[in-house]
Amino acid sequence: MRKKLGLLSVTLAAAMAVSLTGCGDQSVTESEASSAATTQAASAETSGEGETAGSEGDADSVVTEQTNLTFIFADGDEGAKKSMNEIVNRFNETHDMITVTIEPGNGGNYSELLKTKDSVGEFPDIMEMRDTAMYVRAGKLAPLSDEIVSLFKAPMEFNGEVYTAALAGENTNGIIYNKAYFDENGLTEPATYEEFIALCQAIKDKGDMAPLVVGGQDLWHMGFWFNKAYDDQVMSVDPDFIEHCYDGSKDFSDPAIKATFEEMQEIMEYAQEGWVSTPDAQITTFLVNDMAAMMFSGTHMFGQILQADPEFELGWFPVPSPDGKTRLVGGSGVGGLAISAEAAQDPNKKAAAEEFIKFFFAPENYKIHCENMNAIPSTVETPDMDILPVLQEVIDATNTADSLTPMWNGKSGNNELPPDFRNFTYKTLIEVLQGTRDIDSACEEMNKTWQVAAESFNPVTGVGVN
Amino acid sequence: MIKIGKWKIDKTALAFISPALLLYVLFIIVPTVSSVYYSFTSWDGISPEVKFVGLANYREIFTSARFGNALKNTLILTVFISVLENAFALGLAVLVDKVRWWKNVFRSAFYIPVLISGIVSGFIWKIMYNYNFGAINSILTDIGLGQFKQDWLGNTSLTLIMIGIVLVWKGAGYYMIIYLASLQSVSTDVIEAAEIDGASPWQKFRNITIPLISGAFTINFTLSLINGLKVFDQINVMTDGGPGFTSETLVYLLYKVGFNEGRQGFGTAVGIMLLFIIIILNTIQQKFLRSREVQL
Repeated sequence: MRKKLGLLSVTLAAAMAVSLTGCGDQSVTESEASSAATTQAASAETSGEGETAGSEGDADSVVTEQTNLTFIFADGDEGAKKSMNEIVNRFNETHDMITVTIEPGNGGNYSELLKTKDSVGEFPDIMEMRDTAMYVRAGKLAPLSDEIVSLFKAPMEFNGEVYTAALAGENTNGIIYNKAYFDENGLTEPATYEEFIALCQAIKDKGDMAPLVVGGQDLWHMGFWFNKAYDDQVMSVDPDFIEHCYDGSKDFSDPAIKATFEEMQEIMEYAQEGWVSTPDAQITTFLVNDMAAMMFSGTHMFGQILQADPEFELGWFPVPSPDGKTRLVGGSGVGGLAISAEAAQDPNKKAAAEEFIKFFFAPENYKIHCENMNAIPSTVETPDMDILPVLQEVIDATNTADSLTPMWNGKSGNNELPPDFRNFTYKTLIEVLQGTRDIDSACEEMNKTWQVAAESFNPVTGVGVN
Repeated sequence: MIKIGKWKIDKTALAFISPALLLYVLFIIVPTVSSVYYSFTSWDGISPEVKFVGLANYREIFTSARFGNALKNTLILTVFISVLENAFALGLAVLVDKVRWWKNVFRSAFYIPVLISGIVSGFIWKIMYNYNFGAINSILTDIGLGQFKQDWLGNTSLTLIMIGIVLVWKGAGYYMIIYLASLQSVSTDVIEAAEIDGASPWQKFRNITIPLISGAFTINFTLSLINGLKVFDQINVMTDGGPGFTSETLVYLLYKVGFNEGRQGFGTAVGIMLLFIIIILNTIQQKFLRSREVQL
């Protein structure tokens, strides 16, 4: 009897453990929620001028019967929720034949929600797409029409087709600072990297607040900083470094990667105490409560800061690279609104979905989204927006920057990262910054992980891509 | 009766068992078996194409420093909570058993953390541990012990311990109930006989009570071992496996690579390895604890 009981308990324990992998887990966390909320905003670029495509009605002639469309977006951010609802309501009110229904986007854990929706046969007709490359390869997305593609200044292509209508340009990161504090203490915006470090040191020496607030608990927040150092040290010498790692001509023991870690070490000396366990959602609190003078983040933070303290005096400047150039995150990213391949097989749904996207990006509607999200428009025709002066500064900076590229993990083609490499890098970076791993060992670990990842995903050789 | 070979199955019993059996097969057995298959593939979780890669995922497991680190973290956390949870639970059970007044109030108070979900308890403690705004550091500062302030979840040498404390706080009440039930079943005759023989309270507890409640030890250590190996909620909420890889356990690694990083095949291989680890550890534990059980 005892033997049987023992055997039964072992079997049950084993089944419980393995069923974890089979059934999955849909737990949602606050940090992931805020991550999604921020990356929702993280899609930004410069604007331009040109023709606007028809905003409504054109495709109704093709929609021959009442058509319902399901629409999902990452609704972790209040601004995104508000603007999407308003635009969808406007669309439904002006289109008798088409009804767009917003389905809950699960707050933060958006990418998992989409995967789950797909696996249970409820993939939406239109969706905010982030993991574009993966879904394009899986044949889940339909290419956008030339008419839609022509609305955008820099659409991102996959094998000659465009699958996403960028909600905004890539989110341009820069230093957002307490202008009143700077003015009171005679601090000025730095013109060089050395001046930036000197500025941080001056604030640190003063001792009344931390020079920088960093939300190190959220990996993607660390990604903002890592990308800055990567642009400074790697992109400045080899814009195709990732491609060269795929073809084997370079690896992560490269001096440029070591310099990236070193730059990060130098900058993070000025982060607040406890930065490792501070979530991104808390960094606004530090800034508006005079606990830190500066943060490095995207334009989506402007709204959050002013919501927390409407009187806060916002300042912004880009952090120059050590070589004197200004490298900013910008251009169209791979994410945006997409139409499912299944919906596109139904002519009515396809026409209705295309009509919705055209309507969304019509200047008078798109303006709502850009204003709510403090986003930089991605369309050829810039909406006439009522924007903050500080956002105008960002737009001006993107127009004069020496380089404007997507985040290192947002590139496509031969510079696309393997699926799990971004997070591995950020975690390794934190180990280096905490002193639990040295730079040489970090580079070695990155090489090992890269080799494994590149065995199943290598756009240069076509493995895992075609 | 239905006869299948040597087996005779009662139709009525089968009718009652069928619904539960069907659900068990559907949600436990089928995913378990399919996991074995997926562990030999490079499936990303969404693509219709599932590529067979043989033992590649298992080779990676045995050569990956990340898996080794997750295994180490899992074992540390499991030992930590198995020992402390049971120690606290036994202490609380003895306390509640002996206390004369407010017995039910104490039982309820110690059991309340069990009723709080893992996610909620994780959030509560995460806020308390916060370096800048958390209750623990604020209290330390207020009582003049500011020099002991710590980044409780950010300090790599403390992170696992801090998570372990939350798990012990949350789990001890549950094991306390099992110990309490067992303590109350110890015959007073034996205790009285020992008292007549002049045994001290410690001698009675060590030589009579402990052996007689060893069945509860077996159950509780088995449950806490399994729970320790499967910890997910608190890590997910409090640290996301960090800082770096400091608190990444096997289950969390499985989740991260399988569901976040698009490597379902590798994730399921990690799950299969976890299965074997649980089988081995549980078998050893069962053998050890069962041999120490005493029955009157």
